[in-house]
Amino acid sequence: MSAAELATSPAARPLRHRPLRHRPLRHRPLRHVSTRFLRSELRLIFGRRRNQAGLGVLAVVPLILAITVTVSTPRPGHGPDFLASITSNGLFVALSSLSIELTLFLPLAVGTIAGDSIAGEANIGTLRYLLAVPVHRTRLLAVKFAAITIFSLVATLWVSLVGVAAGLALFGGGEMTMLSGGQIGMGPAVLRVVMATVYLGLCFASLGAIGLFISTLTEQPIGATIAVVILNVMSFILDSIPQLSWLHEWLPTHWWMAFGDFFRDPVAWDGLIRGLLTAAGYALVFWLAAWARFSDKDVTG
Amino acid sequence: MSIFERNPALRWAVPAVTAVALVGGGSAIRGVQAIADAGLPARTAAQLLVDVQQANLDGLSGTVVQRSDLGLPDLPIAGAAGGTGSSDLTSLVSGSHTMRIWFAGPDKARMALLGTLGESDVIRNGQDVWVWASKGKTATHYVLPAHDAEDKSATGKSGTSPDQSAVPTPTDLPTSPQDAAEKALAAITPSTEVTTSGTATVAGRSAYELVLKPKEATSLVAQVRVAIDGTEHVPLRVQVFAKSVADPVFEVAFSAVDFSRPDAAQFAFNPPPGTTVVEGKAMAGPGATDPTVNAPQPGSAGMPTVIGKGWGSVLVAKLPVPDASAATSGSTSATNDKTIAQLMKFATLLPKVSGSWGSGHLMAGTAFSALLTDDGRIVVGAVTPEGLYAALAAS
Repeated sequence: MSAAELATSPAARPLRHRPLRHRPLRHRPLRHVSTRFLRSELRLIFGRRRNQAGLGVLAVVPLILAITVTVSTPRPGHGPDFLASITSNGLFVALSSLSIELTLFLPLAVGTIAGDSIAGEANIGTLRYLLAVPVHRTRLLAVKFAAITIFSLVATLWVSLVGVAAGLALFGGGEMTMLSGGQIGMGPAVLRVVMATVYLGLCFASLGAIGLFISTLTEQPIGATIAVVILNVMSFILDSIPQLSWLHEWLPTHWWMAFGDFFRDPVAWDGLIRGLLTAAGYALVFWLAAWARFSDKDVTG
Repeated sequence: MSIFERNPALRWAVPAVTAVALVGGGSAIRGVQAIADAGLPARTAAQLLVDVQQANLDGLSGTVVQRSDLGLPDLPIAGAAGGTGSSDLTSLVSGSHTMRIWFAGPDKARMALLGTLGESDVIRNGQDVWVWASKGKTATHYVLPAHDAEDKSATGKSGTSPDQSAVPTPTDLPTSPQDAAEKALAAITPSTEVTTSGTATVAGRSAYELVLKPKEATSLVAQVRVAIDGTEHVPLRVQVFAKSVADPVFEVAFSAVDFSRPDAAQFAFNPPPGTTVVEGKAMAGPGATDPTVNAPQPGSAGMPTVIGKGWGSVLVAKLPVPDASAATSGSTSATNDKTIAQLMKFATLLPKVSGSWGSGHLMAGTAFSALLTDDGRIVVGAVTPEGLYAALAAS
């Protein structure tokens, strides 16, 4: 069942907003209708087998980390970040997994959803039907981006959740040693893990906005996804070239690693705020670019 | 929306204008800070030095960004492998680094070097000094001797104001701050032109700038600028400019600063469980800290000598010439020999130079020149290669 089918169903009719003032009062308020559209979009995303399989793959990394560390204890200073700390506190399984997955796996997952958002519908021909009902294209893009953002947050929280669950089961919790060498209790530690996860989820959502824009340019969802992944990898490469240091702070991926700043004492907010502002900037510009492209696009597919 | 319906291409202006506004706005915030008129009353260099000496700093916390671009190639030796984003204390020689600093009196200070998902801390709390590295989960503990703590309190400020090392200080005990400032200025005037330049803005605060210009012709340093806070009289920024490039080759500056006294809990350090704790030997001070630095042992190499004075001074040290087997042998002193062997190997890639002083390989940076002679002497200075040759010929 596609969003187009849902949108054309009688219940979704109030989506048309132009005759709003002629509508009798017994109609549902507009806000309620727009959540319905978003919910149908989310049902599509999370209902697809391929997306469920993708989330399964994302969960493999924390499981592998947790199991390998039980088999052989890593030495400090070797292996991925936070790995050596796992034995002291299971929460580090989540952080270590995030630091591994943020370079490719999570951007790929968000890129798949974002690349599919418009191009996927165009490819299988449902976009035309979706637009045949008078859903305003601007609102369609807003709902699509909201769905991408929610998926991004859910996918990142999912990795953290699996990591925390596996870590606590195998290594237990307790006081968490921060990067600064201080210790915090379990409650604040879990709160910081959640904040770091949400921060990363929002960062990935900005990449999703770029994906949404690319998705309006093509009718091949796989092409849009590949483009997002290439941009992501390119950004990491540029970030590692010292001669381009003037460019680094503007790169979409530059502030992602700042999620570790939640685990300093006190929290180093500067980089995190810069990261959120950068993410918001990218999201705004590329959502507007998607709007500029999509509003007068001829939909033939 | 009707404009967009008549002229759909105009829609593209919306994201374009937004992007330009965001990038421009982000850059402009810094630009405005740079040109803001600080509006401070004029002060002479001597008055500024008195201000700095009389500064009564209760406490501060802030973020310091340090950048260096000395124009040197990356050395393939241990300790120089850091670079940008590393929390390794030995990585400070290159790239850009962010530090957080807390200071609450001479015996309470903390410096945290922030790396990507890592951090190194140097914490002084009373007689205790801790050096913590998150990457290897190691903590080194030093206890300052009681009499040393006395000395520390005199120079303690330089532990937190990273810039004072660049300000020449008098060696004899002055009778008053004014006297000290006069003496300091008199000491450096033969070699340095000292001026104050208009006012600068650092970390959102108005600051005076003290400009030191070397008179030495062979010096590679064009000028050293020290920005001093207009109200708290604490150095906020030090920039070193080379003659060959417009941007500073070395800069350390507060990007944010707060002059309220930090909480005492900030200076408490207890090694967390699972930490390798090393009890360090008696130490010089929080500055010379990292135990992993391969400092040349006085016995293995000739003690370095300084030739020349002021800005033209050059450091000459004799390296022990290692035989080829030293690099691979597993003896305890092999680490130093290995480093030297690597350095020697690296030096052969550098341009070869020769003169009346002999021959060797030259590494010419924007702010430093280094020469490794074929007879195993290493000569380093903030001077032109000609300055190095002259120093060698004179030795």
